[in-house]
Amino acid sequence: MPAAAVRFEGVSLGYEGKLVLDGVDIAIPAGAFVGVLGANGSGKTTLMRALLGLGRVRRGHIAAFGQGGPARFGYMPQKERLDSIYPITVRAVAAMGAVRGWEFPGRRRPARAAGVERCLEDCGVRDLADKRFGDLSGGQRQRVLMARALAAEPDILVLDEPLAGIDAATRQVILGLLARLRQEGRATVLMVSHHIQAERELFSHVIWVDEATARIGPAAELLASARAAEVFRSGA
Amino acid sequence: MTALLDLIRPDFPLQHAMYASIVVGLACPLVGAYFLLRRLVFWGVALPQASAAGIAFAFLLEGSGLERLVSGAGHERHLAILGAFAFTLAAILALALLERRGRGVAEGRVGVVYAITAAAAVLLVAWNARGEAEMMGLLKGELIAISETDFHHMLDCLILVAGSMFLFQKEFLLVSFDRDLAVSLGRKALGWDILLYILIGATISLGVMNVGPLVTFGLLVLPPMSALPWARGMMSFSLLSSAIGGASALAGFAAAYALDLPVGPVIVMAGGVCLGVSSLARMLQPR
Repeated sequence: MPAAAVRFEGVSLGYEGKLVLDGVDIAIPAGAFVGVLGANGSGKTTLMRALLGLGRVRRGHIAAFGQGGPARFGYMPQKERLDSIYPITVRAVAAMGAVRGWEFPGRRRPARAAGVERCLEDCGVRDLADKRFGDLSGGQRQRVLMARALAAEPDILVLDEPLAGIDAATRQVILGLLARLRQEGRATVLMVSHHIQAERELFSHVIWVDEATARIGPAAELLASARAAEVFRSGA
Repeated sequence: MTALLDLIRPDFPLQHAMYASIVVGLACPLVGAYFLLRRLVFWGVALPQASAAGIAFAFLLEGSGLERLVSGAGHERHLAILGAFAFTLAAILALALLERRGRGVAEGRVGVVYAITAAAAVLLVAWNARGEAEMMGLLKGELIAISETDFHHMLDCLILVAGSMFLFQKEFLLVSFDRDLAVSLGRKALGWDILLYILIGATISLGVMNVGPLVTFGLLVLPPMSALPWARGMMSFSLLSSAIGGASALAGFAAAYALDLPVGPVIVMAGGVCLGVSSLARMLQPR
């Protein structure tokens, strides 16, 4: 059995005085491709934000393990969250993912720059590299955010609804990339999703978030449950 | 023309005030750029007012013995700068804290800070006849005499601010553009935010002390708005904003001197002209 990439031990999460998840105990195997599923408002995003260090853990402990050190995260937020007013290029946005620490401005790092270019190429947006991020369409932005997440060379990749509200071409590109990630198994992937028709084949495991707790299991087993069928049939 | 030639004479009596205006014009847009990008433009109205209240408070303390805590010649001015910085930083931190908690209406919070600090500045001046003339001049944007020593102190501080904005630009951009990413990458977002606030506080305090709240607000907002459509990166945005701010200050100072008008409002109008030209050029640009 592979080692755990992430462990939630007795974790309780919430915000503004409201308890959202309580007593979460799950271990995510390294290299797994995990769908984080559940009804609207069940706490999927709260769980992922806590893992990324973005939410307060009320009780318990979350540990994430990288290869020989602390885990490095790649994070793809929902595209609407980022402001288009910033005068920054697509290349600069993608390069943000590769930031390691403070560096003297203007210092060249050819290997890292080449890595960013490769990620842009993989996501089909290299020809847009000098355009302003704010001038792109929603689908193009989503690809750039995917490139940024990959540029981090992550141990753990967290994707927040990467297929929501995008065009068919972008969907194909992202699904292709996700399939490749699963095949290569370089990173543990956690993907928050609502609509699981296209991507359910990708998941090796599912974290099912429901009734203020979360549990993990093989995808085939959890997606076959009556509750999952009910939630996804109702389109919640 | 003769009036304009006066500006470059070595014995021009307002030489350091002119230099101070240009330096403030160069520095304010560097921090104002983040107000614009973070959609906190109205902080630019409230914070200079908080700074002015801090100066009025410092004037009130004169004669209380506290000014002796600030050493050297020109201690009144140093006390005023300290007052401005303390009030500005307190206002920024209060606004930032409330912003992060997301309670209430954002514009309402800024409005409250503006209203209270504006009223406080006027009341503090009313209680203190000694500082009244200088303070009223400051609020109206009239030219404030500045000694060579004070100018050099201000220059040193603003060079430090500009250097920090350059050195930590990537960090400030990251926490402004995508704070969640910054945290997920293990960056100390709160620490970078606080450093940015300190730099903003220092710039606004020095700006208000030398050119008043109106001009400081104008220079925080107008140059970055003029530069934004033309920038292709944070560095070009900062440099272009700063250049437009410096040029607006120089042009405004020269025009005010030539036409015998109050300097502050003319500098703001010069910034407005730059914005008009930028917007027009943008409209005429082929798509």
